[in-house]
Amino acid sequence: MKAKFIILLITLDLVALFIGLNFGSSGVDLFDGLRDTTAKTIIVDVRMPRALVAMAVGMALAASGTIMQALFRNPLADPYILGVSSGASVGAALVIVAGIASAVNITTAAFLASLLTAFAVYRLGKTRAGLPVLTLLLAGVAMAYFLSGVTSFLIYIAAKDMHQVVFWVMGGFWTANWFKLKVITLPIILGVTFGLYNSWKLNAVLLGEEHALSVGLNVEVFKKRMIVVSALLTSAAVAVSGVIGFVGLIVPHAMRLLIGEDNRILLPSAILCGAAFMPLVDVIARLITEGEIPVGIITALIGSPFFIFLLRRGKYAA
Amino acid sequence: MQLEVKNITLSINSNEILSDITLSVNDGDMVALLGPNGSGKTTLLRTIYGILRTEKGAVYLDEMRLQEMKIEEIARYIGYLPQERAETNLKVLDVVLLGRTTYNRKPSESDVKIALQSIRDVGLTGFENRLFSQLSGGEKQKVLIARIFSQKSDILLLDEPTAHLDISSQIEIMEILREKTREGSSSLIAIHDINLASTFCDKILMVKDGRIAFAGGLDIITEKNIREVFQADVSVRKQSGRPFVVPISRKKPHNNRNKKIHVICGGGSGEEIIRLMSDRGYSLSAGVLNALDSDIDAILGVGDVVTEAPFSPISRDSYIKNLEMIDRSDAVILTNLCVGAGNLLNLQAALKATEKKKLIVIDSTPFKERNFVGDKAEEIYRKLLSRAFVVKSEEDVPKFLSKLVQM
Repeated sequence: MKAKFIILLITLDLVALFIGLNFGSSGVDLFDGLRDTTAKTIIVDVRMPRALVAMAVGMALAASGTIMQALFRNPLADPYILGVSSGASVGAALVIVAGIASAVNITTAAFLASLLTAFAVYRLGKTRAGLPVLTLLLAGVAMAYFLSGVTSFLIYIAAKDMHQVVFWVMGGFWTANWFKLKVITLPIILGVTFGLYNSWKLNAVLLGEEHALSVGLNVEVFKKRMIVVSALLTSAAVAVSGVIGFVGLIVPHAMRLLIGEDNRILLPSAILCGAAFMPLVDVIARLITEGEIPVGIITALIGSPFFIFLLRRGKYAA
Repeated sequence: MQLEVKNITLSINSNEILSDITLSVNDGDMVALLGPNGSGKTTLLRTIYGILRTEKGAVYLDEMRLQEMKIEEIARYIGYLPQERAETNLKVLDVVLLGRTTYNRKPSESDVKIALQSIRDVGLTGFENRLFSQLSGGEKQKVLIARIFSQKSDILLLDEPTAHLDISSQIEIMEILREKTREGSSSLIAIHDINLASTFCDKILMVKDGRIAFAGGLDIITEKNIREVFQADVSVRKQSGRPFVVPISRKKPHNNRNKKIHVICGGGSGEEIIRLMSDRGYSLSAGVLNALDSDIDAILGVGDVVTEAPFSPISRDSYIKNLEMIDRSDAVILTNLCVGAGNLLNLQAALKATEKKKLIVIDSTPFKERNFVGDKAEEIYRKLLSRAFVVKSEEDVPKFLSKLVQM
């Protein structure tokens, strides 16, 4: 059952990769790529990095979301709960407003700003008694509101660059390239590996912190580590794709409904599912209209009805 | 493995929560930690387990000093069941498997085997693939106990393992723990149900305000100690050699205090009426009862009693004492008792009470089924019935009584 499910998801990933390479606004497909050098360039240098970045981002957000939901024991937790996305937006907006926007600068600024935000939230949420999840959650919410105020202000004063900031915040993969893929590969591989390595221990946290302690888990240290992992994954994703909502919330939930709560199987399933979901939605985003619409809009428009469908099947007791 | 707690003191925000606590738990011990809410039981368990760090004193596992061990290591020696409610959609087997996280990064075949055995130990075989969230309260608690068992630790610390459970689950869980203890583990169980503790445990620690107030065997469960530790009035009786505690309600109708009622009973026929009258706050007496009569237990603690030596017929002395009590009473109740040669004088005494028109007879079953003396008793009883207030059952007594005692 479990092995079959994983194989199914891997197949889905390959299909998603194929579709990501085969379809695009230029209309060329993989057969053209075999015959024609221009088509080959489009497929290898545009669609390939784009599909791979989308896959990596999908993995990162799904992993981070699953970890956060377990850690916070809250089904509404998502990768952005530590204010990471708002931090990244401020970083990107600052670079754009300062007039030094380039792929490298925006990505770097967004990445550093989001890590910084996560660190700040962590420090704010920390008390003498440790790291109570509720305090951390509230610190994250407060920080997110504050930083989105800052972003709004930056958008307001951005004048002609306004649309660039807005588009970045909405999130998408149209600027994906090999550079971005290189930047995020290491943090995402590290984060995903560490997450999978600790997937069983995440189960212990599900029962409550006192119970986690009672099975011999050093909860404070574990929480700290997992928050670092989650911040790293989310920051890497946000830095290259902007703020793509909903993936980190619904992919883990959808998998939970299908395969259960056990993180040993849930976490890898969510990662594989995120890796298929993101490039597929991206294909829809670039084909649905003449131009291209931000993928975050599609994730919300497709994701929520699908999620509600799963909920209504009635299998789920949250 | 021996658990030894030596002089630990712990303060939180400069409030001393635990003061100089010393205790030890040996192999095969099942120790109850009794104390009212807020007395420091949970804090003590958390401190022993190493979650809270003490400022003074130490906890030892055999020769090992627990403060120097990591929590991963402690969990292999001590199975700690917190009181915190657990809620998860994990399957039962996955919850029990968590007890193995301290040994491996991922559960192995043998971990699964151990988990399945633990599930069997708590009697939940067949529940492995059920969702934890869909179990009853008692089943959930058993799953959590199975989780501790799968840690394979010698010492169990349990914080209110029976709280909020129905009585059959309470008993089952205590039996499971006793079984484990008999296999050589030892357990320290924080509990506030004194009777449950007395039924299953052999050693008692009573905690009050962060100190060990009393420590010892079951014999420390006394009315005096419980009043001191719990600030509660109870009466302590014996049941198969173990003390059991019956709460005494302090809020009794005070206007009945000066009304005296004497109960003529025997062989358990008086238990219910004595309880009923005692609840209503009347001053009670009873007699004549043989020393081993079960009605003695009912009257002890709530009223005076005239006793006779075991298995002896009522003596002249006792009879007269009984008459004196009847004389001083505002009402006399004759229960649905059996009459033999030994207690025929009780019937005579009841007859005396009718002279002052203050006798109530509880006549539930035909007298001839209760009469082992013959015509003589039959005649007295007939007289009684004609001169007394006769009721069919105990519940009917109060309404007659209210008329009687007002006269």
